[in-house]
Amino acid sequence: MSVVARPHVAAVLVFGASVLLVLADSPVWCSAVALACVLWRLGVGTGRFRELSPGRVLRAIFAAITALCVLAVIVSFRTLNGLAAGTALLVLMGALKLVESRTRRDNAIVIGVALFMLLAAVLADQALWRLPLYLFLVCGACAAMALNSHASPLLGTRVALRLSVKALAMAVPLAAACFLLFPRIAGQFWALQRGEQSRTGLSDEMAPGSIEKIANEYDPAFRVRFTGALPAREQLYFRGPVLNSFDGFTWRRNRGHYYPAPPLELLGEAIRYRVTLEPSDRPWIFALDTVAGSPRRDMFMAHDRQLTAMEDVTSTTSYDAESYVRTRSNARLGTLGRRYETELPADRNPRALALARELRARSTDDADYVRNVLTWFAAQGLEYTLDPGKTTIDSVDTTLFDSKRGFCAHFASAYATLMRAAGVPARVVTGYLGGEWNPVGEYLIVRQSDAHAWTEVWLDGRGWTRIDPTTVVAPERLQRGVYDLFGSGLPASSRLLHGSPWLTKLSQTWDGMNQWWRERVVEFDLRSQLDFLRKLGFDSPDWRQLGWIFAACLVAWFAWVSLSLRRSVARVKPDRLGRAWLAATAKLARAAPARAPDEGPIDFARRVAAVRPDLAGDVRGIAERYARLRYGAAVNDAEIGELERAVRRLRIP
Amino acid sequence: MNARHRERPRPAGLRARLRARAAAWFKRRQGDDSLPLAIGTRRVYILPTRAGYAFALLLATMLLAGLNYSNSVALGLTFLMGGFALIAMHLTHRNLVGLRVRAIATSDAFAGEHGQLHVTLENAADTPRIGIDCETAHSSRTPVDVPARATARADIAVPLEHRGRLPLERIELSTAFPFGLFRAWTYTHLALELLAWPVPRGRREPPPEAASGGQAPSVHRAGDEEWAGLREFRSGDSPRQIAWSAFARGRGLLVKVYESPVAHHRTFDLAAVPGADIEARLEQLSAWIVAAHARGERYGLRAGARDIPPDAGHDHRARCLAALAVFGDDA
Repeated sequence: MSVVARPHVAAVLVFGASVLLVLADSPVWCSAVALACVLWRLGVGTGRFRELSPGRVLRAIFAAITALCVLAVIVSFRTLNGLAAGTALLVLMGALKLVESRTRRDNAIVIGVALFMLLAAVLADQALWRLPLYLFLVCGACAAMALNSHASPLLGTRVALRLSVKALAMAVPLAAACFLLFPRIAGQFWALQRGEQSRTGLSDEMAPGSIEKIANEYDPAFRVRFTGALPAREQLYFRGPVLNSFDGFTWRRNRGHYYPAPPLELLGEAIRYRVTLEPSDRPWIFALDTVAGSPRRDMFMAHDRQLTAMEDVTSTTSYDAESYVRTRSNARLGTLGRRYETELPADRNPRALALARELRARSTDDADYVRNVLTWFAAQGLEYTLDPGKTTIDSVDTTLFDSKRGFCAHFASAYATLMRAAGVPARVVTGYLGGEWNPVGEYLIVRQSDAHAWTEVWLDGRGWTRIDPTTVVAPERLQRGVYDLFGSGLPASSRLLHGSPWLTKLSQTWDGMNQWWRERVVEFDLRSQLDFLRKLGFDSPDWRQLGWIFAACLVAWFAWVSLSLRRSVARVKPDRLGRAWLAATAKLARAAPARAPDEGPIDFARRVAAVRPDLAGDVRGIAERYARLRYGAAVNDAEIGELERAVRRLRIP
Repeated sequence: MNARHRERPRPAGLRARLRARAAAWFKRRQGDDSLPLAIGTRRVYILPTRAGYAFALLLATMLLAGLNYSNSVALGLTFLMGGFALIAMHLTHRNLVGLRVRAIATSDAFAGEHGQLHVTLENAADTPRIGIDCETAHSSRTPVDVPARATARADIAVPLEHRGRLPLERIELSTAFPFGLFRAWTYTHLALELLAWPVPRGRREPPPEAASGGQAPSVHRAGDEEWAGLREFRSGDSPRQIAWSAFARGRGLLVKVYESPVAHHRTFDLAAVPGADIEARLEQLSAWIVAAHARGERYGLRAGARDIPPDAGHDHRARCLAALAVFGDDA
């Protein structure tokens, strides 16, 4: 490749790499256009294709294409103020610039566009595995800048890359200091629209079969790091959407069914933990049962203690929460609450309603009834399965009397129905049960497959009490996850990942690294900054101290950089012969004007002789001997010794 | 009389005036220089280039986006690239600091052509200095790479527009290596000038008797000269005069010397050139000198107070043409 084409090819390659980085965030047609341009320019750069001849017609065509592309983006996104639309626009504009780029300035613009696309890619995804790609692109862009600013045979691609890597590596300490100390702000000052994506997860509806669908997913729902020890496994109920309205088939969350929450006493030790929630595009916030309060100001807790975020969770979100295993409520459920939580369609599931009436008649009070129904569940030989088959519109009747098969949702739905039918306030709670302990990162990873549904019933004197009918049907579910119970019915890839201990270990390590990355780097914010300073020994860190530490770091870094970038100047040490001659000229400097750099020994001797005829003989002797030894064929030490002696004998009177 | 010809138009406009003020300030600050000149830190200035400002804009955007979205990776990359830019500044600065200007030679030329400045740079460091740009106020940047522990020469072509002296108050050495984000530069104030010889224009045939200063008329023919012997080669001797046969015999570069009879000497005299326009007369003299040199003749020049005895060779030609170039300055 010629020296002239090299910067262009470098810029094209950097642009191509950045297009690949935002491949997932820009429409297929944009990426296709851009990659086609990249390939064509690579062909031109390596001499395979002919360059377009620049001209007015071409420029007009380009203007038209540019306008068309902007129009196309507006039409397909209906906006230009959006990350996806902006990315698409960048991809197209960069590609068009590429086509007409000829000068160094054009190349520089293309490299700049590539760096802007890097920014778009970073804003879209901060995953750990993408970090090497980002760094790779930055290195490439820097090397391309170097190649673009000099056409020198001494500056090859490899030299440019090495220079870039070295400069970036030296910048790492400063970057780390800035990262730790640069003041962060809380909140946004400008919001962009983000693209829509559909994700799996719990919804505010539960029909028979809806949880099984989620349970097939191996994706993590959230991760929990406990401050203290991991609570007992049967306590790991993570509460999500609370469903309070039943139509005989589907449980729904009815927001209109609001009533004042009865006061609640939290007993025993608090469990403190931090949840890192994966984006779900839904507002549900999950916390261990029973959560003390809303963990963050932008999340609120409803009367039924369900946590909801103000906005859908579209990016990884973390929050600290506090929960209590034991609770008590001496209050009474108000009439409104009792009415809402016992509502049931009268014409659905007639056999279940009849069963409820019969069992209630045999029970002494509500608590006894709750126990009796559980006993009845245990005695029916119900089967806990991921594939319970279809139910009729009277779903509870089908589950309890016909198929006798069900998943957690079926049993929770049936149990709550039986409770409500007997006038015991009950509701269905969906969420997650259990999780997988990651020993590498020391946190609990809760997957979609851990999705679960259970019920809560109101008992006077105890308040809302968690009853999980599934544990009666399949007690093993409490201790083991769905993957352990129904390995064979799950997708092969997930099974493989879950089955092999070696792969499990590997995936846990990778997950642990990712979690570290998320907790320590991605979520590093103002609070983590202050924590870090406290760890450094500042009791009440404020901005001024932050500034001072920052300045100190900067000075130290500058000193280090200046020292390590010092040019080492190789001092050429004169040899023995040279030293003797230098000594002679130094002595003669007192007698005559100093020897000029281009003055040979004989000429110098002649000039000295002209000024000081008394020295002529000695000086000529020394100069001729030196010239002979220096430029002659053979050098022997004896003669050098003689020269040294002659120089020593030389006296300038 | 011909001052208006030689002086460039006075700097007009605010920008040019500011630039002149800045140049004066730099000169006052640094003083006059002498060769060899080591470029120390005190005289190296550095500012971002246009690409550097664009890069800063990119970083600012990344910073804002990173803060706005609390995007740690964007912030991290911003800081990394910011540190990179500072390292780039260091690298650019040190690419110039420590360089030595060993020598500067000038080659004069006819007006309308390009004179040359030959700047010899020395790099004592054991890493190369790539992309050192040399320029003057009248020329564009000439890049040169100075390898490690070596010297390199930049030949700056300076366009010469009008006959006369072209003073070069300062030479700017600059570099944007390695990333083109910053440009470090230094000024060297050396008393240099290029001479623009008058363009050879007019009759090429030898001047009439009147113009040859009253010497005996003669028509030069080859073979008129008498063989005078050989002497050592000196720079400026014409290759045609070299005794190649002697060189082939291994006797080194020797030059054949001829002595022509005095009658063959010709002296061009400005006073004897007819015409009113002094420039035209100088151009005619220039044409004669060029023609005489091409024929290998010996000739002398008398122009005003300047009287150059007859001689031959490149050096003599340059001396004569230089006398014509500066004619009118000394008065």
